[in-house]
Amino acid sequence: MSRTAPPRSMAAEVAVDLSVDLGRGLVLRNPVMVASGTFGYGVEYGDVVDVQRLGAICCKGTTLRPRIGNPPPRVTETPAGMLNSIGLQNPGVDGVLDKYAPRWAGWQVPVIVNVAGESVADYVEVVRRLDGQPGVAGIELNISCPNVGKGGLQFALDPDAAAEVTAAVRAATDLPLIVKLSPAASDVRAVARAIERAGADAISATNTLSGMAIDQHRRRPLLGATYGGLSGPALKPIALRVVYEVAQVVEIPIVGIGGIGGLTDALDFFYAGAAAVQVGTAVFADPVVPLRLIDELEAWLAERGYGTPREIVGAALPARRDRPSVKGVEYRP
Amino acid sequence: MKLLEAELLETRQFLPGQWLHTYAAPWLATKARVGQFVHLRTPDYSGLVLRRPFSLNTFDRSSGQVTIHFRVTGKGTEWLARMRPGERTEMLGPLGRGFELDPRSRHLLLVAGGLGMAGVRALADEAVATQRRVLLLFGARDASEVYPSTLLPPEVEYEVATDDGSFGFPGRVTELVPRHEAWADQCFACGPVAMLAALAGVARGRSDRMGVARLGGRDGRRSAGPRPAPAGSPLARRRSWLQVSMEQNMGCAVGACLGCVIIGTHGPQRVCREGPVFAADEIEWEQLA
Repeated sequence: MSRTAPPRSMAAEVAVDLSVDLGRGLVLRNPVMVASGTFGYGVEYGDVVDVQRLGAICCKGTTLRPRIGNPPPRVTETPAGMLNSIGLQNPGVDGVLDKYAPRWAGWQVPVIVNVAGESVADYVEVVRRLDGQPGVAGIELNISCPNVGKGGLQFALDPDAAAEVTAAVRAATDLPLIVKLSPAASDVRAVARAIERAGADAISATNTLSGMAIDQHRRRPLLGATYGGLSGPALKPIALRVVYEVAQVVEIPIVGIGGIGGLTDALDFFYAGAAAVQVGTAVFADPVVPLRLIDELEAWLAERGYGTPREIVGAALPARRDRPSVKGVEYRP
Repeated sequence: MKLLEAELLETRQFLPGQWLHTYAAPWLATKARVGQFVHLRTPDYSGLVLRRPFSLNTFDRSSGQVTIHFRVTGKGTEWLARMRPGERTEMLGPLGRGFELDPRSRHLLLVAGGLGMAGVRALADEAVATQRRVLLLFGARDASEVYPSTLLPPEVEYEVATDDGSFGFPGRVTELVPRHEAWADQCFACGPVAMLAALAGVARGRSDRMGVARLGGRDGRRSAGPRPAPAGSPLARRRSWLQVSMEQNMGCAVGACLGCVIIGTHGPQRVCREGPVFAADEIEWEQLA
């Protein structure tokens, strides 16, 4: 079985338009973004990564007030993955706007601010302050962080709560709005549908999945916060499943995230229905993975005569329908 | 900071399970400062998703060589130990902020526990190159883990303590410190947290009356009422009698992921960016226990 479509023709390579429209005017030059929490505010890698070539940058989760985050240790490697429990350490929305937005405003690459909160009012207030600020290209609503006590993840587990926070934020801003799903929801399709109906422009899937590690010598949880979010290749099959399910029930674009470390991973997500992808944990091993992925994707599409990645989006979905299925192919645990 | 390919020139298991790697990395050797580190690429992203941070054990500008010192503790270091000369690995570096040597200090006290030797080893070279006197106190569990003196510059005075008394002073390396602390203008340490915390206890409150503070200003006057050093600044580290090189599980190593923080007196500190070297009095030692 071949995982890649055969070349359409032996004709000369065509020019590829990599751009992808995530809605409400958020058009990325290419579908490769960097995931929130793995790329700071876009400034940390300095000259090592030419950030201007990226499709977009999702910055570290931003809350209304500054947060000092969770006690250390906060990260550990696990089989084919890692756990993190940063706990949304950030300088608060005003600090982010002061410190970074002026630089972002001069950048070609759109910066999407990842927004987290403990209550609907928190989310709305953060977004209200981001609205209209130069340098802020969009919002990624983080309703799925497993590393904070109150709120956070709860919004992504329940369709009604997800709809409530999405609708409230939608009313507060005209910025492009992406809502980030959790793989922990028992039925992500219901959550995704609720988010779409509440006015989100796109959905990103997925955030990390809660896990833990034990310190063998001390016989206690290794991470200072006990639990951490699992990311990396270990998460990929789960994230793919979420994208595949969600793609069957919503019409808004989906941004695939989870263990993407190269072209074949990205193609899997496109086939499963993602219009764009985010590279996260792989950046730690190799900061230039996202840039290489852009080049490899372009070459791969050109070689096969595709003019745009849109032509392969959803290729693996069960049947092409005019309207999304109400039910979709179901995940049966 | 750069991503660069480094060729392994020499690999040597100089103690059971402990290795010394020499790499050709001219740019790195030129740019590095004592106390900085590199983030080494592990071979396979699908299996090992994180790089491994290593102190620049030594670096030599003239030969363009750098060395790292590691113990095999897991899959990443197992892979490293299997590398053969001629093979290449990718390094990100130099990273972090290094030790602050005061231009006035003549007597350097280095304290290393076990693998902590890698954290202060480059200081021995720097001290010798700048005609400072250097005393290195080294602590190990037993004689089998004692860092060989032949790997140190001959000018370095070297005292060893072992926990089981099988070599050198019987006891903790920190017990050797009091007899030398008055001599030392500055003290630099790397090792287990318990060792560093004990040292910090020794050093606490002594920065004012010991070390470079006692040496007076550049014009010979005592520096009465010095301008305050901003928290976390190089000046704060230089003013602190004891500087420590800290370790923490690390993600990106460039300050982006906030994975490697420890708690400082003025909030969370990224070991990769604000560190790995800190003024001992700017760390909340109780939080690390």
